[in-house]
Amino acid sequence: MTWRIDRRTFLRGTTGPLLPLPFLNLMGQTASGATAAAPPTRFVTLFKPNGVHPPSWNISGGSEFDFRTSPLMKPFAHHKADLLFLDNMGDFGFSSHANSTRRFLSGHHRNTKSASVDQLIANRIAGDTAHRSLELTTEGLFPNQIGCSYISYGTDGAPIPRESDPQLVFDRLFRSPLRDPVRRREMTSLLDRVGDDARSLSRKAGAEDRRTLDQYLSVVRDTEKRLQNLQTQIPNNRNSAGNLERPSAPANLDDQVESMFDLIALALWTDSTRCITYMLGNSNSRMVFDFLGITEQHHYLSHFFRNFSRSNLDSLLKISLWHMEKFDSLLNRLKSYRDQHGSLLEHCLVLFGSGMGHSDNHTATRIPIVLAGQASGRLKTGRYVRYSKNQQLSRLHLSLLDLFDIPIDSFAETSDALPGLSNSDFQPYREIPFESWVRHEKDTITVQGRLRLSDDLDEARVFYVDVENTKAIRIEVAFRDFHDFNLAYHCGTPIKLTGTGSKQGDHFLITKITDLTPLHGNKPGSAAG
Amino acid sequence: MKISDRFVIALILLLMVGIDTANVASAQTIPSKNVASPQNIAFESDIRPLLDRYCVRCHGAEDEIQGDIDFRFIKTKQQIEAAFELWESALGLIEDGIMPPADEPQPTANERAQIRRWYQTRFITDVAPHPGFFRPRRLSAHEYRNTLQSVLGLELDVLIREAEQTVTEKSLVMKLLPTDPPGPSGFKNDTSANPLTSSTWEQYTYLVDNGLQRLFAAPHRETLESYVGPLVENLSQDQAHQLIRLFALRARRRSVSDEQLQSSLRKLRDAAPNDLIAVLQSELKAVLMSPTFLYRGLLMKAPRDRITPVDDFELAERLSYFLWADMPDAELLRLAEEQKLQEATTLHQQVDRLLESPKARSLAIHFGVEWLTLDEIQHVSNNPPVADALRNQPIDFLHYLFTNNRPIMELIDSDVAFINAHTAKYYPSDRSQLPKYKRPTGIEVERLPNTKIALRQTPERGGLLTMPGILAMNKGPVMRGTWILERIIGQNLPEPPADVGQTPANRRGENLTFRQRFELHRQNPSCAACHDKIDPLGFALQQYDAGGGFRRSPKYASMKQKTRSRNRNQQSLEPDDLDTSGRLPSGETFQNFVELKTLLVTTEKQRILRNVVQRFLCYALCRKLEPADRITVDAIIRKVSQGDATFGTLIHAVVDSLPFQQTVWKSIEDRP
Repeated sequence: MTWRIDRRTFLRGTTGPLLPLPFLNLMGQTASGATAAAPPTRFVTLFKPNGVHPPSWNISGGSEFDFRTSPLMKPFAHHKADLLFLDNMGDFGFSSHANSTRRFLSGHHRNTKSASVDQLIANRIAGDTAHRSLELTTEGLFPNQIGCSYISYGTDGAPIPRESDPQLVFDRLFRSPLRDPVRRREMTSLLDRVGDDARSLSRKAGAEDRRTLDQYLSVVRDTEKRLQNLQTQIPNNRNSAGNLERPSAPANLDDQVESMFDLIALALWTDSTRCITYMLGNSNSRMVFDFLGITEQHHYLSHFFRNFSRSNLDSLLKISLWHMEKFDSLLNRLKSYRDQHGSLLEHCLVLFGSGMGHSDNHTATRIPIVLAGQASGRLKTGRYVRYSKNQQLSRLHLSLLDLFDIPIDSFAETSDALPGLSNSDFQPYREIPFESWVRHEKDTITVQGRLRLSDDLDEARVFYVDVENTKAIRIEVAFRDFHDFNLAYHCGTPIKLTGTGSKQGDHFLITKITDLTPLHGNKPGSAAG
Repeated sequence: MKISDRFVIALILLLMVGIDTANVASAQTIPSKNVASPQNIAFESDIRPLLDRYCVRCHGAEDEIQGDIDFRFIKTKQQIEAAFELWESALGLIEDGIMPPADEPQPTANERAQIRRWYQTRFITDVAPHPGFFRPRRLSAHEYRNTLQSVLGLELDVLIREAEQTVTEKSLVMKLLPTDPPGPSGFKNDTSANPLTSSTWEQYTYLVDNGLQRLFAAPHRETLESYVGPLVENLSQDQAHQLIRLFALRARRRSVSDEQLQSSLRKLRDAAPNDLIAVLQSELKAVLMSPTFLYRGLLMKAPRDRITPVDDFELAERLSYFLWADMPDAELLRLAEEQKLQEATTLHQQVDRLLESPKARSLAIHFGVEWLTLDEIQHVSNNPPVADALRNQPIDFLHYLFTNNRPIMELIDSDVAFINAHTAKYYPSDRSQLPKYKRPTGIEVERLPNTKIALRQTPERGGLLTMPGILAMNKGPVMRGTWILERIIGQNLPEPPADVGQTPANRRGENLTFRQRFELHRQNPSCAACHDKIDPLGFALQQYDAGGGFRRSPKYASMKQKTRSRNRNQQSLEPDDLDTSGRLPSGETFQNFVELKTLLVTTEKQRILRNVVQRFLCYALCRKLEPADRITVDAIIRKVSQGDATFGTLIHAVVDSLPFQQTVWKSIEDRP
């Protein structure tokens, strides 16, 4: 098989080119070990922490093939044809950071004894690649709720350690002294040198010294022996590209993530691994995005109702936009690496998303989930799939397992795969017709209509109920009401709401909610999620 | 006996003063460790029969080996000597009447005296001063980290975002090297039981590659130029030579001649200009992978088989690894080169200089943390800034005691504390000394530095034992008591029997406090042996709750009582549980912890001092103490007690001590 590389890859970024010129020769070179058969399908996950500001993320209206992307999707909207937007994902009224993170790849937070979906896929597709999977992240562990730090879990449901340093990942992928003939030769001559040192010391040594030196020499001999064995076992291998240039030390988080994307693309392209998960941050992340000019912690900003100010919300959106830009950046990389079968992206399935929807209320409905790439023709992209009902994430996971030909009947308490990934066999969301009206009696207002969150960024705490032929009823309540009646959950659906308020000029204003009933019986689960 | 004692003291003092140390020592050959003495009682003839009669039925009969002690396997001279701690504790148990158990045949008074005389002679009276045999030692992980950093002049860090409330391992060395287990001395710098393995060797090669790559990369150009002068285009031959000389000096931690480097220098001269850097890097790597870098002591020069002062470079290393956990700096290496370090004035000036350096914090971070098990505090809170605050309190406190020449007894009783906004609540009446802290907008919790405050109105705090983190890391009175006994007073306790079970709950109609129920539960004499010592210490701290908070008034109890139904089994929350009185095995009684503290700094002072001295000596020597070290320990205690009993005096005395300054280089292996 011929691997080809797009020259544009080298023109990117502030961290300088990743590959030196000699590597370009590989573009026309036939890689050893590969057959002419179909290329493998890879699985890549990119996790965005701390949910979103829903009005900025949600796609409003539209249909499967006719829809407009939302403001937050703008950075990657130009990939629309390669994307599958899933809507109405998630079915929990509230969710903790840790549980929502666990569900992201494990389907359900109670699914703590089995591997996450990426690991099941890795087991299936790894073949004889050098690395069964890579688990990557940007920041340290969050012991406060340790579940916030992991999305990948091994067979026994135990978290898999993550790596954050692009240089270390590069070394692990391409610099293993035992896999690389150049490094092996260097190692052999080093062993000779230090062995001589130890032996010459040993001749003059006392009893205790000699014992120590013997220990040292036995380690040297042991390593020599293993090197000799390897020389006969491992043929030259394209992973051992000794002429790849190591990424330089990045200046900030943005550089760090870009470097990691280079490595992700390169690792897939060289077939060093076929499964990678990458967390752009812990859920609950306290990261400060100083390189975006922001001084507050991400988690604080993500609670945009409680900590509302226009500038806080702007900062939150800046961070979210940065996450979206990074998704775009990953897709660009995967498109630019090609072989005769097409781009990497065509043979990838990329899962991008978050664990929760509304980042203040931790509502786990309408979770951002976007699939990208054609998965070797298995995924039908360029579509917006909004399901008729809220969907458990485990249903999506079961479909992914199916898509990778993994024979499994159930995953995380679900045995019902999610339709709509490979074709249009899903039941789309349709609003059931309903009457809308408003009644006013003394200071009590009752209104029936569709609830929405204001999309005016200056009033991110304000909700409206749309009523036909009337100015929308404005709802401006304290956090308690917002939370207790879970306004975020009911957004976009028809409800009947009673509250205290008054007429303000041409519109009604409700300042205290006393009752909220969904018209079609959709209720946030009472179980803690 | 008196005469021989005096002789020993005189000898020690002579060695310490440093007058003609070398002559005194080199004139002496290795003393026999077991000189015949009028009172000498031979093990086989006088002790073995007593063991056979009274002990082996439980400690050495066919399948009954109680307490993991088997007297059958102690036969040779070495085995008898190696078991010196066993004899010490056995003697204590016999003299206290705990062993043999009451229902077994008892030795006569004469037989007991016979055992005591044998122990006294064999392990105290007849033991001549001996510095211990010289033994090279592999650097521990943190010493390796510091040393590699000092050689390269740059830090090997891992790229990871350090958000507040996350825990990260920033050091690449600590991330990749296996965690050192504490050695036989109880400290990680005692790597004697932790041999080099192939996987560690591979990690070393990776770390060295990583470090050299960084040194020659653009961001560290300044560092490199500080070693070899300004770089024009490429490195010149001279510059390459300069660098290999510098690295060889630093890595070997002693001066090195061009002759010793000739093979490296030749390879550099032979290298084509384009290859020069590659050749240089591989030569530097060989230097950093050589056993002379990875181990301490392989290059020490000394005559064999007699007590002799260590050479100047070895002394410099001993000093810097003791006080800094790092290699000697340029000044120490220069003094060693000029052979000035053995001069007492110079040496003590250097000790003071090292203690003044920020690197001396390693004493608190490594010695202090390992001695007092302070890493356990990390588990007290899963909120890293809070856990850090609790853990940094004792670390800052120890650093202050060690480097400000504070009295040793301030460990127990001090009017100074180090607090920040996270720990201020434990010091309600004195917290006003802390500058006002205003959390920046948008930051939920953050790590904060400590401020030193004077404890004026907080009698319930002060000293290590009542620091909230330490109280909280030891759960319940038994663990608190055990920790004080082992770590502060220095008494080792055997493991509790496996079948002790739980303290039973109150039966219907019973209304006993936890303490009363616990005391019933452990009436069994074999429990009492240890619990008589543990319990008074632990229960004295009952006025501090499980989180380290102080139960200030009866109101506190009633407030806590509300949660009682939920925490029925949490012993410490019972409101009637505040009997903090007790009686020490020595007979003194106290009503509460404040009174106990007074006893600790008076009647228990000698035992605490001995423990502190032993721990310091273990750490400084990177080895377990042996019978011959008792003389050194006694001498240090005497010296410290004569003076102002400060940590400064103690550290200087350790540096002056026989085993720190001298050694014996053994040419032939003992028979096993």
